[in-house]
Amino acid sequence: MANRRLDKFKPLVALGVFLVAWWVVPIGVKAFLKASFSEFQAPAWVASSYLEDLEGFWARRMHSKRELELAGQEIARAKSYYQFNAQRAETLQAEIRRLEAILDLPSRREYRYEVARVIRRDLSAWWQHLILRKGRDYDIPNGAAVVFSGGVVGRVVEVNAFTSRVELISSPNFRMAAQFEGDPRPVVYEGVPQSGFGDPVGRVSDAPQDLMANSNDPLQLVSTHLGGTFPPGLSIGEVVWLEPGSTGIFQAGEVALDPDLLSLHEVAVLIPLNPIEIESDAP
Amino acid sequence: MSQVDVHRGENPRILFFFWIIIAATLVLLVGLGWRQLVASRKYEEIEKRQTERRILNPGPRGDIYDRKGNLLVGNRAHYSAVVYLDDLRPEFRREYANIIRAERTRLQEEYQSTPQADQPQEPPIPDYYQLQWTARENVIQRYIDEINRITGRDDSLSMNKIIRHFNEQLLLPLPLVEDLNPDQYARLVEQVPVDSPIKVHTGTARYYPYGTAAAHTLGYVQNVTPDPSEFPDDGIKTFTFKKKVGKTGLERSFNELLSGIAGTELWRVDPLGFQDTRLEMVAPQQGGDLITSIDIDLQLAAETALGERKGAAVAIDIKTGEVLTMASHPSFDLNDLSPYIPRATFDDINERGAWLNRAVQLSYPPGSTFKLLTTIAGMRANTIGPETQHDCQGVYRVGNRIFRCHARYGHGVVDTAAAIEGSCNVYYYAEGLRMGIDVLSAEAMRFGLDQKTGIELPYETSRIVVPTKSWKREQVGAGWVPGDTANTAIGQGFLLVTPLQMASFMASLARGETRTQPTLLALSPEEAGKVAHGGEPIGLSRENWLAIWEGMQRVVGTDGTGRLVQIDGLRIAGKTGTADFRAHGEEVNLAWFIGCAPVEDPQIAVAVMVEGSSAADSYHGGSTAGPVAKDIFLQFIEEYPERAGFPSAE
Repeated sequence: MANRRLDKFKPLVALGVFLVAWWVVPIGVKAFLKASFSEFQAPAWVASSYLEDLEGFWARRMHSKRELELAGQEIARAKSYYQFNAQRAETLQAEIRRLEAILDLPSRREYRYEVARVIRRDLSAWWQHLILRKGRDYDIPNGAAVVFSGGVVGRVVEVNAFTSRVELISSPNFRMAAQFEGDPRPVVYEGVPQSGFGDPVGRVSDAPQDLMANSNDPLQLVSTHLGGTFPPGLSIGEVVWLEPGSTGIFQAGEVALDPDLLSLHEVAVLIPLNPIEIESDAP
Repeated sequence: MSQVDVHRGENPRILFFFWIIIAATLVLLVGLGWRQLVASRKYEEIEKRQTERRILNPGPRGDIYDRKGNLLVGNRAHYSAVVYLDDLRPEFRREYANIIRAERTRLQEEYQSTPQADQPQEPPIPDYYQLQWTARENVIQRYIDEINRITGRDDSLSMNKIIRHFNEQLLLPLPLVEDLNPDQYARLVEQVPVDSPIKVHTGTARYYPYGTAAAHTLGYVQNVTPDPSEFPDDGIKTFTFKKKVGKTGLERSFNELLSGIAGTELWRVDPLGFQDTRLEMVAPQQGGDLITSIDIDLQLAAETALGERKGAAVAIDIKTGEVLTMASHPSFDLNDLSPYIPRATFDDINERGAWLNRAVQLSYPPGSTFKLLTTIAGMRANTIGPETQHDCQGVYRVGNRIFRCHARYGHGVVDTAAAIEGSCNVYYYAEGLRMGIDVLSAEAMRFGLDQKTGIELPYETSRIVVPTKSWKREQVGAGWVPGDTANTAIGQGFLLVTPLQMASFMASLARGETRTQPTLLALSPEEAGKVAHGGEPIGLSRENWLAIWEGMQRVVGTDGTGRLVQIDGLRIAGKTGTADFRAHGEEVNLAWFIGCAPVEDPQIAVAVMVEGSSAADSYHGGSTAGPVAKDIFLQFIEEYPERAGFPSAE
């Protein structure tokens, strides 16, 4: 009887022993184990995402030729539109570089865009992560900015061989410098614990007292180049109210983020170019 | 059954101790009951006070605006990187353990390597106290290095500052790096992890959008630790951030209005004094706003016109006494004094003599601008009339001394208006002596030139002098001589006034009264209609009055000494003045201009004084101070065309 009663505590004892063992393991070993764990999981996630792509491919194969033709035409139109825009952007960039050279201005930070597929979303109240299907194999650096058509997505916080982990802008562990559109003063944007229901939100603080926001005339929060990670002017979200913060002079408020943020399929990682790469691009 | 039990009932000595023990037990029980049941509230309070700490967070100061609502003094974000020492305790312990281990090893090796003969009996032991501080300093410096890496700065923190913070302000965050610029702040926000002990703290510092403009009038603030007598007297230990207190100018005069209301945080602390739980928080509140009478556009016009020269310019609304402009040069950029005054900046301002507000804190001889007052005094004493004439040959003899006119070969025969126009000294030597110093001094006192103006600024000088015979006897120890009267009549000698007093005098003269109460507060239309300046009507006949005004207009006429002040379409009346005096053993030339406009219905009175310290400087009221006044008048036309008698821009 007594033995059976003690048997009941075996799992707890095992857990205790494990925790004690984990506690005494050196930090280097822990880091190695953590990285190994991610690398171990990555092939399964990558394979799964390729299977999804394949599934999508076969699903589209089921469409009629007419539908595919129409879709192809639509894509061709979109492609020519984007090609035109891309050419215009290149021309403008060349002009900017020329003017910078004439005026002897320091060059603005340039980026290479690496488009990556989202293969996994790890969303909870305490952290909000995306796993991308590109990692060191595409030279994605730790800390790189991640964006999508709606603005800022987050920041790369972990790079593995074939995957990388992105801290979403809505995550409580995310913080960045920002500014209100048209106002050069820097403010702080931070993610907050998410409710699980509803659209993602964040929080802005250190907003100057003279700013007013309301639902009819929300303030646009955008990225600033001051922090060095994000290019300026990328949308973060809308602020519909501001209230006095704890300092008695600066304001704080809630930021409504893009609802698509939690259901993204593709994002672009901004990889900073070093000056030599920029020089070689110059006309 | 023990021996004690057997004999308890009969042995008196045992009985005696038995009852003592019973009594002592009863005393203990009653004491226990008293403390637990009756005095428990008191002990709860003591316990509470021992475990609670209060943090006072001073409220931001109110803003200061000009009369048109332009922000003159506001608050800007003051960014700093701080760390709560409580968050570093595990690291302190780890670092301390590492240091102790290393130190023991070092001492052991040193001990073993010492020759046997020189070895002490016991191996030396480490200085644990010192090593504890070293450990703390190492940990803190590592975080500062991390901040330096991100921001590109090169900061460090002295051991003394760390020790002082531990001992006196343990509950407050320790500032690691202060006064970060927006760029550095943004980089820290992005690159320091959210869960790092380093916190990016945003406080407030005074911000001056116009930099040097009206620097002396606005004043600056200083960070001070609040006096413990200001803390709530409830026994709870209180920590406080430094608060800003007005040191000069309006910041000082209206310190109470501008000071915010402090917010409070109540914390429960652990036995070592580190914060545990926040029990209560009240946000600080910003102080009240102050709307001044200054017009920043007029102010900037005056400052620009003064340029790099030493001097002061004051413009007053004649009707209300509101000071529209008060400039003093050399000046300083108030932003350089915020959030604190660097030593080098302090020394630089000191060296340039820029701390002093020359409009109110220094007094000067008014020179020929005083001749207007001499004229009024003579007219009231019936010694001067419009037709009074003197033949100026360039010199005037008083006793054995020759007094000169600035016109070397004289003005010829001049009447009152011409004497004002040409600023003829000879005319005023003669008239001054005719009326006597008693009359002259009494008139100057009637206009309040012997008193402070009472403007809302601290440190208005009391070194203002309207000399009298008794004054000279007391202060100089000599009798009054006619030469003193002659000098006083032309605004020289012992006479000392401030530029603000001369502006007030001009405003009074323009209104036909003897006093103007200058103010730096913007008045509402209702208040402006009810201003009581005090004083009385000047009391001149119409002929006399017109003679003075004719003279003042001719000063700014084609042949007048103030002809450079002329503005097409605006009738200006004024008086120039040039004076010499010695300050700190140095000869100083002064150029003055006082005037008002438009003559038809005077609205603005201006006084400009420019100092020239070099013997080579050629300073004259008309050519040096006049153009400054002209720029102020021009700006007045632009800002208030209707009041200047011009058609409105609209």
